[in-house]
Amino acid sequence: MSALTGAAATQVAERVRAETLWSRSYRARHALQSIGGRAYPRIFGMLREPSWLFFDLVFPILNMSSIVFLLRSRGVDEAWVSATILASALLTFWASVIWMMGAQFHWERDSGNLTLYITAPVGLGSVALGMAFGGAVGVLFRAAIIVVAGALLYGAAYTIADPLLFGATLLASIAAMYSLGICLSSIFLVSGREADHLGGLLNEPMQLLGGVYAPVRNLGAAGLVAVGILPLAPAMDALRQLALPQLGANGLLPVQAEIGILVAMSVVFGVIGRFLLAYIERVGRVGGKLLTRAD
Amino acid sequence: MQTDRAADRSTGGLTLREARPFGPLRGSAADAARSLVAASRLAWSIEANWTQPLYLVVFLAIRPLAFLGLFLAVFSIGGRLDVASIGFVVVGQAVFQIVGAALQGPTHALLDDRERYRTIRYIFATPSSLLPVSVGRALVKAAIAGSSALIVIVSGVALGMPLRGGGVDLPLLLVVVPLGLLSIVGIGVALGAVCVQLRNDAWQYPEAVAGTVFLLCGAIFPLEVLPGPVQAIGAALPITWWIEGVRRALLGVASPGRLGTIPTEELVAILAVGTVVIWAAAPRLFTFAINRAREKGHLDRNTAS
Repeated sequence: MSALTGAAATQVAERVRAETLWSRSYRARHALQSIGGRAYPRIFGMLREPSWLFFDLVFPILNMSSIVFLLRSRGVDEAWVSATILASALLTFWASVIWMMGAQFHWERDSGNLTLYITAPVGLGSVALGMAFGGAVGVLFRAAIIVVAGALLYGAAYTIADPLLFGATLLASIAAMYSLGICLSSIFLVSGREADHLGGLLNEPMQLLGGVYAPVRNLGAAGLVAVGILPLAPAMDALRQLALPQLGANGLLPVQAEIGILVAMSVVFGVIGRFLLAYIERVGRVGGKLLTRAD
Repeated sequence: MQTDRAADRSTGGLTLREARPFGPLRGSAADAARSLVAASRLAWSIEANWTQPLYLVVFLAIRPLAFLGLFLAVFSIGGRLDVASIGFVVVGQAVFQIVGAALQGPTHALLDDRERYRTIRYIFATPSSLLPVSVGRALVKAAIAGSSALIVIVSGVALGMPLRGGGVDLPLLLVVVPLGLLSIVGIGVALGAVCVQLRNDAWQYPEAVAGTVFLLCGAIFPLEVLPGPVQAIGAALPITWWIEGVRRALLGVASPGRLGTIPTEELVAILAVGTVVIWAAAPRLFTFAINRAREKGHLDRNTAS
């Protein structure tokens, strides 16, 4: 079997390119189908495997309960109990970003599914967007259950004067977190056994820096930096100000400014994520290591 | 080599190999000890050689310190952080590092070997029992978590956490730490025996149990804060007594509430009885569960979760 070289190789490459050249509208339709296809199991999977829903709820509720009892043992204002429940709901998104976005491609590689993604005529970007969309919708349901459970178990109460603004802030928060998740998926994908530990490092340390349970302004300069780079920080600060006006004095920045930061993060992380995924895919294909199991 | 040959004996054309001694141990005890050491070495490799030693140390420090920082941040809500009162949380959180690791250790060892490395069938085919293998893996996880716990306690002291007047009560610490560790590894072994039977979410159960125990054992708040019936469950856990014993040894003061009124000797006795009860039951449950798993084909199962 003789290898193609020189002009013959170029001709074949051009022919293949011409035959597989999709129109812009076809590509858009194909990308949307891919996003829908990947989002589907994220949204409807829990109906088929209710035990996943149980564990998705039990961990945040246990953590939430520990903090609630700690707060009550200190005798602080009950508004902080409500803030803790809101934080626990937001953390379900964060956990999903770490494990169901960041670590997902890494797991897919270990289970063999990444080979299918790579060989299918689907870009990793569309797959990642599908994971993000499906993940966000699925987790929204879980977050709502956590808030209801918090209200029933611990009497959490909220005063949302502007539901539209609250909804917009939540949406911007989710978008910023999942955009970061797309960036993280590339980083996890090039990680070997470090991936599990990396996930651990993105948990409690980021919760601390993000001012999840206590105001981010208490962190001083570190809090300011966190608001600029970590979606959890402006998200929690803004949501707390909107849902619990009595704690508004603990806010670091005005809500509108924090929404602006979250929107900017969504765009910036989204662009970086797309670039990183394309880069990792290209380098991985060239090096032949993209599909190599970590363990 | 000559000793090895001397240990061989010939029976009916087959060469059987007698169990080699392991220190003062002979027979099956020597085999178990050898398996324990081999499993510990393997666990150390799995847990520690994924990165450079410096990064490992940084990793071991960051997460527990952040965990501690979270609780201290909550502590500071509604006023300034009172360093004199942080000892309760610092010690509870430090000890729980070990509890979490030891609880999850045996289950994760079994599931890792079954589904990730796919070696459990080969281990099962060797003369080693899975029990020392699981215990060895759990002990190393606990030891690594112990270094994190030490970092947390040193950080607490650096923040101004007052230690016991006259120094740490070393004899008490030397009694309660091994007892507590044994009890939690025993519970972890029992948990592993249950999890190896499960079709779904076997990986999640140890974490869920650890989270529940964290809530119930008074690690960061006194038991009295919990609702009445839940307090009784918390008081029945050996981990509660372990944490209280370590608090008394390090801080020199008992916890607030009913737990603090129990004399230290009684506390140690309760912890010892709990440990004995757990170790009377856990190995039997483990053996029964592993045999059942073998008969039902669970040792070849891949839950893909």
